[in-house]
Amino acid sequence: MGLKRGVSLSAGLRYKGPSGYLTYILHRIGGLGMAIFITVHLLASFIGGRTGGFFNGIYENWAFQIFIFFCVLFHAINGLRITILDLWPKLLDYQKEAIWLEWAVFIPLFGISVFVIMNSALGG
Amino acid sequence: MEITIKIFRYDPEKDVRGHYETYVVEGDENDRVLDVLELVKGKSDGTLAFRRSCAHGVCGSDAMRINGRNHLACKTLVRDVGANITVEPVLGLKVKKDLIVDMDPFFDNYKKMLPYMINESPLPADGRERLQSPEDRARFDETTKCILCAACTTSCPSYWANGEYYGPAAIVTAHRFIFDSRDEAAGERLQILAETDGVARCHTAYNCTEACPREIKITKAIGEVKMAMITGKLD
Repeated sequence: MGLKRGVSLSAGLRYKGPSGYLTYILHRIGGLGMAIFITVHLLASFIGGRTGGFFNGIYENWAFQIFIFFCVLFHAINGLRITILDLWPKLLDYQKEAIWLEWAVFIPLFGISVFVIMNSALGG
Repeated sequence: MEITIKIFRYDPEKDVRGHYETYVVEGDENDRVLDVLELVKGKSDGTLAFRRSCAHGVCGSDAMRINGRNHLACKTLVRDVGANITVEPVLGLKVKKDLIVDMDPFFDNYKKMLPYMINESPLPADGRERLQSPEDRARFDETTKCILCAACTTSCPSYWANGEYYGPAAIVTAHRFIFDSRDEAAGERLQILAETDGVARCHTAYNCTEACPREIKITKAIGEVKMAMITGKLD
């Protein structure tokens, strides 16, 4: 007798992990976002017509583009951090600093990109 | 001071699912969360079930989620978590009653790591100790500190998703023997850890390192095992 071992998504997300846990979650969201983008893109290409146009409208929307750019950029930079730490485990002593460095690289790059996307979407 | 503690409760003989009950007790900011649980059990509700033994951070019995993060109740002071405390069982293991979880799967994974010295070579000429330099001993010093409380394994999202994953604590145990210069079964352990449920399931969420009450750099130990597996070198 006893409760099952399964951990629900909400229970997992409510766990108060450190900064590494946030990047872990965002990395998964990034991967999922890219999968959604590719699916929508393929559907738009293959279906055609009004339905295809609908899917086209989704991924050409500037808000969706900002989301996808977040997914791609974060997934790439975080993946690079993980790869470097995996190849040189001694650097794991500086895991927290590595995460701060990751945000220091990500935030300005993402900020500039959001500005460019919004400027061209709303200004032109 | 007045301490409000919300505790996850589950009685397998009465309840279909768990629920929370809140208790208010008089305590001190220097009390440990374990002391508060003892106060609740002693003065408010004798049916409350939780594990405890040494109460000094050595036996590893009282790992639980305190305010959403894994801690040992005997090493967590009220002043560090505040007067409003939520206590829940660790995640990823079956809850047997209240804060008590079924530790069998955890220890099953531990046993798979061959957690004992393996050395088939003849004893030294004097028939006594297999000597080791201080440098060789220091190589695995960090991972000898594990008390098998399961705070790390039950904080790991990979373990939550897949209970077959050996988990951080088992890998820490493997590390302790893999990098011991007197042991001769490093290859065998690396083979076990190279399986589907081995180190490849670690996605460096880093929860384990933060949860460890012995401050073992678990993610680093797992990283070293990964490298040993890839390069075949133990230095």
